[in-house]
Amino acid sequence: MRSKAAITVHRSREEVARLWRDEAYRPEYIEEQDAAVSFKDAPGDRGTEIHVDLERSGGISGLAAKLTGGQPALAKVKDDLRRFKQRVETGEVPRSDGAPEGERFERKLKQRPAQPLSESELEKVGV
Amino acid sequence: MRATVWSGRNTVQVENVPDPKILNDRDAIVRITSTAICGSDLHLYDGYIPTVKRGDILGHEFMGEVVETGRGVSNLQVGDRVVVPFPIACGNCWSCEHELYSVCENSNPNAGLAEKTFGHPTCGIFGYSHLTGGYAGGQAEYARVPFADVGPIKVEDDLTDEQVLFLSDIFPTGYMGAEFCDIGGGEVIAVFGAGPVGQFAIASAVLLGAERVIAIDGYDYRLQMALNKAGATDAINFNEDPDIVEQLKDLTGGRGPDAVIDAVGMEAAHGHGALHTVERVKQATRSESDRGHALRDAILACRPGGIVSVIGVYGGLIDKFPSGAFMNKGLTLKAGQCHVQRYTRPLYERIRKGEIDPSFVVTHRLELGMAPDGYETFKHKQDECVKVVLNP
Repeated sequence: MRSKAAITVHRSREEVARLWRDEAYRPEYIEEQDAAVSFKDAPGDRGTEIHVDLERSGGISGLAAKLTGGQPALAKVKDDLRRFKQRVETGEVPRSDGAPEGERFERKLKQRPAQPLSESELEKVGV
Repeated sequence: MRATVWSGRNTVQVENVPDPKILNDRDAIVRITSTAICGSDLHLYDGYIPTVKRGDILGHEFMGEVVETGRGVSNLQVGDRVVVPFPIACGNCWSCEHELYSVCENSNPNAGLAEKTFGHPTCGIFGYSHLTGGYAGGQAEYARVPFADVGPIKVEDDLTDEQVLFLSDIFPTGYMGAEFCDIGGGEVIAVFGAGPVGQFAIASAVLLGAERVIAIDGYDYRLQMALNKAGATDAINFNEDPDIVEQLKDLTGGRGPDAVIDAVGMEAAHGHGALHTVERVKQATRSESDRGHALRDAILACRPGGIVSVIGVYGGLIDKFPSGAFMNKGLTLKAGQCHVQRYTRPLYERIRKGEIDPSFVVTHRLELGMAPDGYETFKHKQDECVKVVLNP
């Protein structure tokens, strides 16, 4: 069973730590889970590693992760990490026609066809 | 708008779909003037790339006119004429900062899917399955271009669409394949595949100073183009003599080429004998995704200590990788989807200066509505087809 996820963000540790707490970048799911989060300098010019461990999270979600082999909790943690990295590095969450909300575990098996969205679909995804 | 959509194995249709809209600040919308069918589109057409969906708009080689820009795009104006690189790249991540655009860490919103398949996600690509993001492609009247402040290159000179269109993919792809070969002058380079990418790999090897360039293909008309237009010095037709490795030895005094470029990829046709039959069956039954003759022969033919450069597209796994030859001969293997953004500016300059005119590969020009015929003609190499350009 895996309970850990990590991502490297191309920014200094101070900046990553500051933005992690910023309302505009907040990784909601990881915060909800009260998971153990640590920041580490990556080697060379590679930025900052963010490590999340669900097993070490407080209370029920840690137990849930243990029981379910970390899925889908871990997949959602990874979504959060990727979206945080995208926001910090690019200023936006990339959207495609197949996944118009951006990276989401729930979309993985329910992709739209890769063609533009109709007006009503656009409204639904908040564009 | 009208767009070319995938509607099942060996079927594409031109359909009416909604017009694309700006979804993010760094997007632009381009009205497409020219777009092309790529050899790698045939892998989708043939159904060998997983996660293609019915209704997906295909096409990753396109250019046109900017008709709308998002708030975050200040380098482009409405009316600009642009060529759009096929890899979607953010320009901000560590990989992009190191010019490794085709492995951009942020542009693929299906990173989770891609990670399962390749170990790590790769960049988003227009019209190239959901593994590479599920982005609508450019064989259409309009396309949405994400990170438009990074990818598109403005065309300000009096050059035709066909002279600059291939900056989107196949010219930089062929060029990168040749650059991988560390050409310093005096080398013999062998190029497997004289399709459009192979033609540009040959032309680029010549531009970079190779002394001899050997083209390998199964069609004489393609080999003629390689010799007469791309600058190849020798040609091997494997339908006349299937033993490519021995023929390459004959042409190089037994040494083998200093570097070998695989511009074929996963649907190699030149295999022969029992192994080829086994591979055809395995691939047809989807128990092996990639046919590996080109890569195997490239490794067997390359001189000891040489370089094998892989720019032909592979999607999954091959059987019987010649690990013994690869290791004992001390070969270097280099590969990748092209980091197009790294090459657009310098190659544009080469076109502008007249060092190369990439339009030589174009054999077929069709209206967008004829895209289904274009796919069939290209797939079956009918009518001496090398490259199909579609005009919406």
